[in-house]
This record gives sequence, C-alpha cells and structure tokens, in this order.
Amino acid sequence: MQKIRNFTRDWFASGEPWIWLNAAAVGISISAVVGILGLIAVKGFAHFWPSQVMLIEYQDEYGQAQQVFGELVELDTIPVQQFIESGGKEEWVDPNSDIMNRWLIKTGNRKISPPDFRWLFENQIHSKQPQTGVVVLERIEWGNAYGIPNSLTINQRPQDPAQNPTQTIRGEGLYTVLLERVARANALRSEVDALESGVLNGINYQLERLRLERRGLLARGDDNSPRLTEIELLQNELRADYEVSEAQLRALYEELDQDLLNLTTASGEVLAVPVADILHTWSPNDMSRLEKTGHYFAAIWRFLTEDPREANTEGGIFPAIFGTILMVLLMSLLVTPFGVIAAVYLREYARQGVFVRVIRIAVNNLAGVPSIVYGVFGLGFFVYFLGGNIDRLFYSEALPSPTFGTPGLVWASLTLALLTVPVVIVSTEEGLTRIPRSLREGSLALGATKAETLFKVILPMASPAILTGIILAVARAAGEVAPLMLVGVVKLAPTLPLDGNFPFLHLDRKFMHLGFHIYDVGFQSPNVEAARPLVYATALLLVIIIVTLNLTAITLRSRLEQKYRGVES
Amino acid sequence: MADSLGVGRLPARRYWINKTTKWIVALGGASVIGAITLVFAYLLWVVAPIFAGGDISAGQEVAVTERDVKLVDVSENGDVYLRLSADGIIEFYRAEDGRPISGFDLGIKVKQAQRVYPEVDLYSLLNEENQLTFISTRYIVSFADGVRKLTPSVDFPFGRKPIQLDNPSQYDVYLNENELMLASAKGRRLTLSRYRNVEPGMPLPKPRSVQLSAQHDVDYLYLGPRNEWLYAISQGGEIEVLDIKPINRITRLYLGRLTPEGEQITAMDSLLGRYSLVVSNPNGLIQQWSLFKDPTGTRLEPIRNFQLDQPARQFVLEPRRKGFAAVDERGTITLLYPTSGRIIASHDGQLSVGRPMVISPRSNLLISATTDSQLSTLVLKNKHPEISFSTLWQQVWYEGYEAPIYSWQSSSADNDFEPKFSLTPLAFGTLKAAFYALLFAVPIAIMGAVYTAYFMAPQMRNWVKPGIEIMAALPTVILGFIGGLWLAPIIEANLSSVLGILVVLPVTLFLLALGWSQLPETVTKPLAGWYGLIAVPLIIVAVYLSFDVGPFLEQHLFGGDSRTWFREVLGLNYDQRNALVVGVIMGLAVIPTIFSITEDAIYGVPQHLTNGSLALGATPWQTLTRVVLLTASPGIFSAVMIGMGRAVGETMIVLMATGNTPLMDFNIFEGMRTFAANIAVELPESEVDSSHYRILFLAALVLFILTFLFNTFAEVVRQRLRARYGSL
Repeated sequence: MQKIRNFTRDWFASGEPWIWLNAAAVGISISAVVGILGLIAVKGFAHFWPSQVMLIEYQDEYGQAQQVFGELVELDTIPVQQFIESGGKEEWVDPNSDIMNRWLIKTGNRKISPPDFRWLFENQIHSKQPQTGVVVLERIEWGNAYGIPNSLTINQRPQDPAQNPTQTIRGEGLYTVLLERVARANALRSEVDALESGVLNGINYQLERLRLERRGLLARGDDNSPRLTEIELLQNELRADYEVSEAQLRALYEELDQDLLNLTTASGEVLAVPVADILHTWSPNDMSRLEKTGHYFAAIWRFLTEDPREANTEGGIFPAIFGTILMVLLMSLLVTPFGVIAAVYLREYARQGVFVRVIRIAVNNLAGVPSIVYGVFGLGFFVYFLGGNIDRLFYSEALPSPTFGTPGLVWASLTLALLTVPVVIVSTEEGLTRIPRSLREGSLALGATKAETLFKVILPMASPAILTGIILAVARAAGEVAPLMLVGVVKLAPTLPLDGNFPFLHLDRKFMHLGFHIYDVGFQSPNVEAARPLVYATALLLVIIIVTLNLTAITLRSRLEQKYRGVES
Repeated sequence: MADSLGVGRLPARRYWINKTTKWIVALGGASVIGAITLVFAYLLWVVAPIFAGGDISAGQEVAVTERDVKLVDVSENGDVYLRLSADGIIEFYRAEDGRPISGFDLGIKVKQAQRVYPEVDLYSLLNEENQLTFISTRYIVSFADGVRKLTPSVDFPFGRKPIQLDNPSQYDVYLNENELMLASAKGRRLTLSRYRNVEPGMPLPKPRSVQLSAQHDVDYLYLGPRNEWLYAISQGGEIEVLDIKPINRITRLYLGRLTPEGEQITAMDSLLGRYSLVVSNPNGLIQQWSLFKDPTGTRLEPIRNFQLDQPARQFVLEPRRKGFAAVDERGTITLLYPTSGRIIASHDGQLSVGRPMVISPRSNLLISATTDSQLSTLVLKNKHPEISFSTLWQQVWYEGYEAPIYSWQSSSADNDFEPKFSLTPLAFGTLKAAFYALLFAVPIAIMGAVYTAYFMAPQMRNWVKPGIEIMAALPTVILGFIGGLWLAPIIEANLSSVLGILVVLPVTLFLLALGWSQLPETVTKPLAGWYGLIAVPLIIVAVYLSFDVGPFLEQHLFGGDSRTWFREVLGLNYDQRNALVVGVIMGLAVIPTIFSITEDAIYGVPQHLTNGSLALGATPWQTLTRVVLLTASPGIFSAVMIGMGRAVGETMIVLMATGNTPLMDFNIFEGMRTFAANIAVELPESEVDSSHYRILFLAALVLFILTFLFNTFAEVVRQRLRARYGSL
C-alpha cells in the first residue's frame, strides 16, 4: 500500500501524466488535421467511382413489396428508440439490437419515382444484388436514370430517309449503338454550345454595346452624328448574322432530336429518354476493373472541365475553378507591388523609430481584422463609392443599370488584395531581414546607389521570400469566402469573365468561386442529399489547391533558411 | 548615408532613379497606414449619420388663392403640392417655385377629407350630405427636351357613386390589400362596412354591414391592423377595443382608460401599422399604448412616454414610418419617434393648430395650410430616427410585445413592420461562439504548444509545425461545411458518445501513461520525444470506445434519450447546429493561431533559465511549470487574445454550423447569430444608406474596433516580452 502511494506521489511529481496530457493535445491536433483531410479525400474521391447498381427488393411502410434499382451510398445507424419515436414500424426492429442499420440509396429516376434518394432500413430490405444489364444514364435534367434498355429508336425524323432510315434496335447490339448515338449527340451538343455561347453570345454582346453607344450619343445631344447611321447599319448586319446562326442552331437541334431510348425500370415501368438528353451512359455491373478505372478518371475530368447543371448540384465546376484562378491572379498582380514596396520601406528605407513601430502594429492589425470587415468595406467603398462614381463618369449611358457600381471581379480582387497585403509584407520583411548587412555594404562600397543595391542585390536575394509571401497570399485568397459574398461572387454566372469579346477581360462581371460553391451547394440547394458528394469533391479540389500552395511556401521557406545559414556563416 | 556618397558625380539618370525609388518606396510604406486609416474612416463615415440628430427648418411659403382648405398633401418625390378645398376644387402646385400646375373641380362640397390608410395617394371625401367618395391622384412623368415634367391627374377609383353615411362624428377607412373597411361613429353607435374584392377602376361591391353600440361616446375611431381590431375612444379617455375579424361575431378585447379619470385627451392618433395609439394629456405627457396578449388575456398598456412642455393639440403621422409630430397650442412642432423613444427635434411657432397638415411619404417635408391663402412647408431632416444608443444596446418595448426585450429582426414582408435593431443578441452570440471555441481551443493549443516546444523530438517538431500551418490554412468554408453537414448530424445522433469522449479519453490516457511508466527504460527513453505520435492511436481507440460507451450512458444516465433528458431535466433545448458544433469546429480554426504564438513564446525562453533550473535539481516538469511557463505567460496571454480576435470575426463557420437565430441563451445545445454571420447574410439585401445598411456597417465597425484592440494589446505585450527575453 505504502509502495503504491509512494509510486503515485513520485509519478505525479515527475510530471509524467501531465506530459502525456500535453502530448495528447498535440495528438488531437494532428488527428484533427489528418482526419479532416482524410475525410474529404475519401468522400471526394469516392464520388467518381462507378458503384454497382443493385436490384433492391424491399417492403415499404404500407407493407407493399417494392423493387428498385439503386446505388448504395452510405450505411448509417440510428438508435431503436429514435426510430420508434419517429413513428417507425415495430416489425422492422430487431429485438436483439438497440440500433438500426439503414442504407441511403440513390435511386435516380426522379421524374417517375421521386425522391431520387431514399433511406431504407436493413430489416426492411429482402434482397439486394447487382443486376447485369442495368445502365446508368446521366441526363441533362432530372438527374440519373437507372434501368434496363428495352429498345432504341434512331433517326425518328430523318431528313434523308434513304441514307438514315428509321430503325428500332433491341437486344444484343443495343448498348453499342446507344454508346455511338450518345457520342453523336454529345458531338452535336458541343456544336450547339459553340454556336450559342460563342457566336450568338458575341453578337448579343456587340448589339448591347452599340445600343449603349447610341444611347450615349443621343444623351449628349449628337443627334446628327454620322456615327448614328453607322451604328444602325452595324446593328442590321449583326441582326442578319443572328438570323443565320439561329437557323443553323435550329437545324442542329433537329439533328440532335432524332433518337429515343426506352428503359425498363425495376418496377417494370417504361421510361422514355430522348438520347439528346443523355450526357453519358455506362453499365457499372458489366464493367471490368480497368474499364471502371477509365470511367473514374473520365468522370474526374468531366467534373473539372464541365459547366454545372441542375442548380449546381450536378455537372462540373469549371466556371468556379476559372473564376477562382482569375480572381487570385488579378489579386496577386495588385498585392505584389504594394506589399513588396511597403516591406522594402519598412526594412531598407525607413528610420527605425516610433513611426515604423506604428506601421508594424498597423500591419499586424490589418492581418487580424476579420475578413468580413474587408467585405463590408469593399462593398461600401469600392463597389458603391468608387464603382458608383466610375459609372457616373464613364458609363452614364448604361445607367440606371450599373456597370462597375455593382459587385464584380475587379472589386473582389481589390478587396482580397487589401486582405492579403499583410501576408506579403511580413514574408518579404522576413526575407529582407535575413540578408546580411555585409552584402548591402559591399554593394554600396562598390559605388552602387541605394536603388541599384535594392534592384540588383537585395530584391533578387529576397525573391524567394517574396514568392513565399505571394503563395501564402494566394492560398489565403483562394480559401476566403465571406468577403467575396459581398463583393462579387455569385452562385451561377451566365458568362465567364474572360471571353472572345472585346475587351476580352471583363472586370465588371460577377464570377463563381470554389469556396462559395461549397457554401452555396451545401447549404442553399434544395436537394442537399444529391449535392453532398459533389460538395465533398469540390472541397477536395480546394483543399488540394490550398495544401499544395502552402506546402510549396513552406518548402521554399525552409530552403531559404538553409541557404542563408550558408551566407551568414 | 548612401545618398551622401558622391551624389555630385552621379549621372543624372542614376540620380533620378535613386530619388524616384526612394519616393515610391516611402509612398508604399505610407499607404499601409493609409489603408488602415481608410478602412476605419470609411466605416465611420457610413456609420456617423445614424448618430446625427434630426432637424426641422422653415421651408417655402407659397401664396395661393384664398379657399377654405380641407386637405393638403405632397407627391412622393416632394415636387408637387396638392390642396383640396371645401368647394371641391383640387389644385396642384409645383414645389420648385410654387406656381400652379393644374386644378380640377370635383363637383363635391367637401366637409371632411382624409387619407385612406395606409395609402398615400388615395383619399376619402365626406360631403355636406354625409356622402363618402374616394379620389386618387396620380403623377405622370414625361421628358420633353430633356426636362422632367409632371402631369398630375385625379380620378375616382371606385366610381363617382357615393356611400351614404349617417352624419358621423368620426369615420375611418382602411384598405387592406383588396378588402376595404369603413367604420363610422355617431354618439355611441358604431357602423362597420366591409367591402371585399375591391379593385381600383371598378365600383365598390356590395358591403357587409354591422351596427353595434359602444360603451361610451366615440370621439376617436381607428381600424386596427389588417382590419382585425377597432379602437373606439371617448374624449374623456375611455377606450374599447373590439375584435372585428369575424364581422358577424364581434367580441370585446379590452375595455379601459387611456387617461386618468377626469383628464381629457388633447390629441390622439394611431401610428403606422395601427398596432399602437399615441395619446396626449393636458400635462404634456404623450403616451404610446400598445395592445398585446399575455396569459391573463388581452391588455392595452402604455409602453413608452414622452414629456413635452406643452400638451399636444394635433398629431401628424409619418405615412411610411412609425414616427409622428406633435403640434401644440403655440404652433410649436416636435418630431418624435416611438421605437427609440427619441424627441428628435422641435421648431417654434409657424404652424396653426387645427389646420390641415401632412408629412410627405418620404418623411422629409411637412406641408400645412397655415392660412386659407398660404401653403407653408417645413423641411424635416430625420433619416434614422429609429436608432439611438438605447435601441441598439438596451431592452426596448416594441409594440405588440408584453415586455421590453432584446431583439434583432431587421426586416419583414410587411411594410408596417417595426424593425428591431438591437445589437445585444448579436454581440451575445458573437461572444458565445468565441467562448465555446476558446473553451475547446485554448487547452488543446496551449498544452500542445508546451509539448511541442519543450518535450518534442526535433525530428517530429519538423513535421508538426508545418502540419499546424496546414491546419491554419484550411479554408473556413470547408471547416464550416464539415461542421454543418458532417459533424452536426453525428453529434446529434450520438450525443452521449460525444460527451463520453470527455470521460473516456482522460481515463485511457491515464492508463496508457501508467502502463508506459512500467515499461523498461531502454524502451521508453528513445521514444521520449514522440509521445505526441504515440497518443494518436490512443485517441482513435478512445473515440472508438466512446461510441461503445455512448449507448450505455444513453440508457443508464440519460434514461434512453439524451436530448430528451437535457430538455426535461436541465431545460436545455437541442438544435442540430449548435454552439457545441461551432465550439469544436471554430476551435479547430483557432488552435493553430494560439498554438503557433504560444509555441514561439515558450521556445524563445532563454536556454540559461531552464538550464539553471535543471541544474538546481528540478525535474523538467517542475522547470516547465515554475520557470518556463511563468516567463512565457505574457506571450501565451497574447496568443489567447489573438485567438479571441480570430474567433470573434469568423464568419463562414458560424454561418454554416449554426442555425443563425439571434437567441440570448448561453445553452451549448442551441445556436446563435454573430455579428459577422449577420453581416454576411443581410448586407447584400439591405438598401444602400438605409438605417439597416448603416447598422450593419456599425456591426462591422464594432468588429473592427474589437479585433483592433485585441491585436494591438497582444502586439504590445509581445513586443515587451521580446525585449525582456533580450535583456535576460
């Protein structure tokens, strides 16, 4: 007894238990980081794998036997008590267990048997097994469709019946023909897209500019300006072009709308799907592992390069990636000179005194001000004040609809530049501090002016530190959402801020952003269940970008440290 | 120093490059200060007007033809004045220069005229034969030669056929969307007529009429909100409130007095929304009375008092806000606002009591027919009357509520809604979120930093520090998403397991430590700096165990359902997205900040101090607690301050991981609304330069100042600490 008491006393005095407690705190932090990254990676990557489609036979709440095709999404457990309290059926309860397993099943076919996600209890399911021959159709609207192809009618309304006779295909060869026809539809659709977003959009854009120019001329009282007649001519020309393209478009749509697929669902209903609505089709149960891998990477590629569909809950996130990158690029163009100059001032030019101390505190404070405050400032000062005045001075013909007096790309970049400038200053300053005094003095002793020393000696040596600062600033900006919600990000931008219409880069346009996409799809979309995998995938992409940027910065910095250790010694 | 070296011999080009560089760089440095001043100054500039007082000043005097004036009004923009006289002539004047624009003869001998509530361009006219007709005005805008031209017109929206009344002493008309209610009183007798499916341009349909008798003579009569109530008041201050919603089964809601026995009412009216009445008594006291329901029934209580020098003789209401003006015997006008209880401004002796006067729809102009041959205006500067220190930070008794409360409710679908701009619930939510986040983050971050700086093997430290940096870089939108969509449902479903971690983790940790101490030193010694890593599997096991222990706790401690238990035993409601989720997730966002600064402070403690302590025979743990932590404590303190600053301003996590309801409850299982989240939600929708917009800027300014103070304080503490380390 005495021995134990002694041991306990000594043990506690040695601090060993407390050290373990402290170590556990590190462990918790590490597990949290790794856990979050792992969770996002697993859920994000899993989204693209073509999971098997099961034929599920189950009993519904009314005791009816039901059959449905679906993908098993996740397994969840709830306490029996909760199940009973929420009015669940007693007969599904397993008396030997106090929890209940339930499956989230993606059943698709939203139009004929909603909802497209449903929870089924393990005990409610009679059987679930993969069914061969089932195809998954990814449709433009209404989400996925699952079923067994029954017949495919091609060339329903051919322009040239001799060459393309109407045919109905059943059985063996159907799937192959279906793949061909889907590929054909996709090719036609990309032609339609090119016409719509390229040509027609361009014409509309030019027409709008001409309209504003004319309005501006009239407002200035130039009623007799020769330019007015020119504008009219141009407008007529453009309208004629528009007609031509529109006719082409109609023809393309006609071509597109030729095929119809009949699909038998699990419950035996027949679902008619125009092939024009099918984006992609695959039959996961009949694919080899290799084919699945191919499909997996193709799906990732489509996710990265396609536009979103169905209120952002399906399709790709290309505009969000594009918007994020463009905004961040513009921001770094703005923040780099400003941050570097300020740091050079603090380290190289300013007399180290009270003033510099105040500036340092100001920089630290700027770094600590909540990002939403920058958003508020950006909205008030940049958008309404600066933008409003720019509109009054240069875009008065478009008023009262604002051009720059509304949230947009340039204001978002400016706001984030202000937000990230302390990051660049601090990092650059750190780099400048590390440059040994002897180098500066050597340069000056050789007759270089202070500016020459700066440009030829100091800045080149500090460039990795500057780069580190910029990378960190970019990483911060890429992940920031709160201020962007106020100064320019939207859930769905109709056009990219960069296109083929003069002046090509449209600083006044609103844009999409990865971070906001996560917030919007995860929290504002009507069908959260359907959108969740996509949110994980988007989050994964954002995390990859940010972690990569940060790791680059960290590596760069540690290299730099090693390099200067050499110089200093 | 560099410049003085042989400047004279420098070629001009080099000289200028050198000079310009110097100036540009100095400019760059100044611009940092400039930026922070600009942010502060701009926020202040937007916020300032809400604290500026109001003002009344004399406007125009327009001489007009002499007529017996019954009603005056002014158009929406304030550019056209309107005058209606007893002989049925309606005239319009241009506000700019007082020149008449046009006039129409309505062909009605007007005895009495008033606006139809709540419209601003619809009027009811009572003629000598007690017949009621409705007219409406319209202003058509046209541009000719670039000049804006207004053409007023008058029409009879419900036709010219009048409604016959029985010589009423009082009447009131309320148009509630397409239901028009007409109430009139003669002595004690009340008549109510309800017209359904009323459409402008169509004659009024056949009404449903009811007659009843009040408890006293009726000298003031007001239809209540959406034609649901009727207030009938006698000059002596007796009031009866009736529920007229089922018009065939009218019941009494309240019977009582507005003034003490024997005191006459000198003026009264019902404010916008018709939820409350303002009453002036002969001592100059103006009381706002509001009807509300509480467990004892429906009551009418004075919710606010204004004391003026002179009793008010006439009230003039703002048509789009709840404010009003009181005019006394001498013609002094005082602007008042109920919500804030502010007496905004007053102006002496230009008005004559009892004459027609009205406040413009934009509440910036009061027009009155001071005499029969003159129109005079007063310019009202009163942009943000609903805001005062007390409405922002103290409890306010809003109309329709049974007691003063703190409330944030900035907008509603109704136009007659009383906005509730109390920042207190938001400040409370902000502090609540920060408190729970720090409760989670501070112990972990500080203990983790202590271990990392003091005990950890250098190789592991080289990995942990970048790891924490990555943690700091995780976008908050991702943390918020994980919190709201992943963690919140898990915690909700496994509450007892999650609480179980608090017990299981320390116990398993203790067992591990105990077991470790029994291992031979040859095993433990080389691993001394790696406890942090060894603890990771243990944490995983502990969490796993907790999920086994959870159902057990659920059954035996919480009686089967922990959420019910918390609600019934401790009175804590459970929301899925609550302060616990925010605490954990925002804690994760704050940990790296506190961790890094604390780690720096501890790592920077001069080596000779620790060496000295160890040499004197102290164990490393004793050295840590008695020497290192004491020396580094200012640094740790500043780390917590900076962490606090971060938690206070965090937006996305709170936005996504709570329900964003502005509650005033410290319950960990309920959500909150913070300043930052509130700004993010409401600012994009608020109208520029409105009170709401400026208050949101005020919220941003408060955040700015708060974090500014935290950060500056922390920075000063750190600079001192650095100086001390240097001197040691």
